[in-house]
Amino acid sequence: MSDTISKTVFHADNITKTFPGVVALDEARITLLEGSIHALLGENGAGKSTLIKVITGVHQPDSGIMTLNGQVFEPHSTRDAIAKGVGVVHQERNLIPRFSIAENIFLEKLSAHPMRPINYRQLFRDARKWLDLLGIDADPSLPVSRLSVAKTQLVEIAKALSLNSKILLLDEPTASLTSHETDTLFAILRRLKSDGVSLMFVSHKLEEVQEICDQVTVLRDGRNACESRPLAGLDRQAVVRLMIGRNEQIPDWSARDRSGEETVLELKNVATSLGHKGIDLSLHKGEIAGLYGLVGAGRSELAKAILGKYAITDGSVLLHGKKVEIKSVADAVGKYRIGYVSEDRKSEGLILLHSVLENVGVPVWRRLANLFAPLTNRAIREHTEPYIRKLEVRTPSLDQNMGNLSGGNQQKVSVAKWLAAEVQILIIDEPSVGIDIKTKAYLHELIRELSDQGTAILLITSDMPEMIALADRIIVMNDYQVRGEISNTRVYDTMSQGIMNLIQGEDMSAEEAAPAAS
Amino acid sequence: MSTRFWESDWFGPFVITLAAIIVVGTLNPSFLSPFNIQVLLLAISVNALIAFSQMIIIAIGQMNLSVGAIGGLAAISFAGMMQVWGMPWPVAAGVALGIGLLAGLANGVLVAFTGISAFVITLASLSIYKGVNLGITEAQPFYEIPDIVKSLGNDTFIHPLPWLVIPCVLAAIGLWYLLNRLPLGRSILAVGGNEHASELSGISVRLVVIVAHAISGGLAALAGIMLVGRLQLGQPTIGDDWLILSFAAPVIGGAILSGGHVSVGGTLLGVIIVAIFTQVLVLFNIDPFLVQVVLGGLILWAVGVNRWREVRAQRRAGQVQI
Repeated sequence: MSDTISKTVFHADNITKTFPGVVALDEARITLLEGSIHALLGENGAGKSTLIKVITGVHQPDSGIMTLNGQVFEPHSTRDAIAKGVGVVHQERNLIPRFSIAENIFLEKLSAHPMRPINYRQLFRDARKWLDLLGIDADPSLPVSRLSVAKTQLVEIAKALSLNSKILLLDEPTASLTSHETDTLFAILRRLKSDGVSLMFVSHKLEEVQEICDQVTVLRDGRNACESRPLAGLDRQAVVRLMIGRNEQIPDWSARDRSGEETVLELKNVATSLGHKGIDLSLHKGEIAGLYGLVGAGRSELAKAILGKYAITDGSVLLHGKKVEIKSVADAVGKYRIGYVSEDRKSEGLILLHSVLENVGVPVWRRLANLFAPLTNRAIREHTEPYIRKLEVRTPSLDQNMGNLSGGNQQKVSVAKWLAAEVQILIIDEPSVGIDIKTKAYLHELIRELSDQGTAILLITSDMPEMIALADRIIVMNDYQVRGEISNTRVYDTMSQGIMNLIQGEDMSAEEAAPAAS
Repeated sequence: MSTRFWESDWFGPFVITLAAIIVVGTLNPSFLSPFNIQVLLLAISVNALIAFSQMIIIAIGQMNLSVGAIGGLAAISFAGMMQVWGMPWPVAAGVALGIGLLAGLANGVLVAFTGISAFVITLASLSIYKGVNLGITEAQPFYEIPDIVKSLGNDTFIHPLPWLVIPCVLAAIGLWYLLNRLPLGRSILAVGGNEHASELSGISVRLVVIVAHAISGGLAALAGIMLVGRLQLGQPTIGDDWLILSFAAPVIGGAILSGGHVSVGGTLLGVIIVAIFTQVLVLFNIDPFLVQVVLGGLILWAVGVNRWREVRAQRRAGQVQI
């Protein structure tokens, strides 16, 4: 190809999408060029996944225009988007496991003629072409359930390409690949790029983005932090700043130092079955310790390991100075009084089909019921109602179904549930996902108040202003390890700079990082 | 092909069938007498269609609780039309088959368009179809079955092969061709394997669900019609005891209840195994009520084997690297 200016293949202009209470996308723009790999970046809640869903036809935008190859592109369904040339390789696999590679690639074409007998020999021959193109060394007649994750992914790419996709969207393609497999994938992506394919690459791994992408769009709070600019000249730190560096009003609370208080929870050199290594961490009474890191740093996973969901393979966990072995989440809640507000409240935090009362009651059932006094709704109501009142959960009655409440009120219930359980340690994971600014401020006050009353809180959030507003001390994680910690001075610029430096500090050896954390 | 024969679904049941025939045949030579083979084949032919009727629904990852009720309704319609209206038997059989197809179609349409689980829909339709059956017959059998039907239901065309084997073999071949060679059948398995992915590949999931239920209804009706000939009676209770067998045979044959994978050959062998075990209890004067216990044990065994193979396959896939 000559040095002509690359042609625009896809363009999205001023895309706005609102959900009740939240503006997910606010005039977002992106332009994909021919023969280019375009990175779409942003933290959780930045609007990245909403933009992907708009492009792939899952959501229809409230306003804004998309064009594909110069023509207006308004997909009304995912099917429609694919048919019009948007190829997608999702994070979750979208193949028929027991079907052969060839049949998976050509399922679309086959199903168009339901009664025409399949000529498998021909099908395998046709598939061979696509496998050769992608350098996949596998028999086309092999069922995809026999393939490794990496190869399955390549088959999906082959399938998308065979549908004459004009743009190919890869959502976290390397999430479950080894580094060697990632290299193979990248070699293939580079070749596709030089063949003129327009690729969009969504990933949380910035090194990979730096390695393979040439264009970048960063979203933050649904807006463009930058739009379709060349990645050349942007170093990693600049990208991170684009992703998280925002200025927001931080409440005028005084800085606290609770490190003199009793140590409630302590991790010493903990390793987990998920790959955490050498984790040292302490949490004091009445303290809010923040656990910061980019998505994929292993924060929620560490929280779940503390709760006993995943095995701790090395090191020790101390509660109130005593070594404990938390065998199950039931133990953590019932015996050790540790609560966990999940980041995924719809599938992990609440039972949406059940009433408010039943949701709040779950952690206290065991305590309120005994052999002689059966569990009554009245007992649960008496025990939990004060907390629901206190949090000002807006619901017509406690019998209301959880699913009918707004996101903010659902979040209040998930916190109230643990207040009612009278936990001593509360791990709060992304407290403000999908809730409006007012409720968010209220939740912040509440979390602060809780800690003032003595609850030790471990706060996990990717929202930098939220972290600086709430935490007394910030522990920075990256790549399943603790990179260091800083006490919060509540000055946004120096804090965000300090945190970024810790995330950057990959050249820092483990020996250097460890003392900083103790 | 990529799967070796000893790893295929039918291999395990095939070995068991063979072993059972050899062991039982040695212990009791009358087991292999032409008359006994004829009796076995009669049972197998009808039961295979019952199993196929459930198998096609298992393929899409659903279940059909109304196979017995549809079979019963088709059976009494067939017998009733011949006795009351004096209809010639091929016409009556054709209409009864149509009734089965329609009953299955109704199931499919309800499942596809309401999004309610097939379990609930077919539980309701089971009650409806059975109720219609009892309303028509008032629980009394139709006795006047033409001699030709009785003969077709019991006699052989080449000794010891009974006439009933013919529809069974045709259905088996047809289903095998559908599920392995025609895109329609592949779509049925695709929907069972990954409904979301199928939809994104342009398959109309609704249409596939409706077609599968219609086929299921048709096969159940065929089994009911054949049973009228074999029993020489339009029994209203036909179909009442089909449910367990209808699940047992496909599962023994390697079907995955969550969908996407069934084996016609395996299901057929599953039916044969159940038939042999049932006969063995009779031949050796063991209480025939134990049949249910043996059937339950077979289901557990088959599910266990399937699960084990699945885990092993996953483990192997995990080791293979690019």
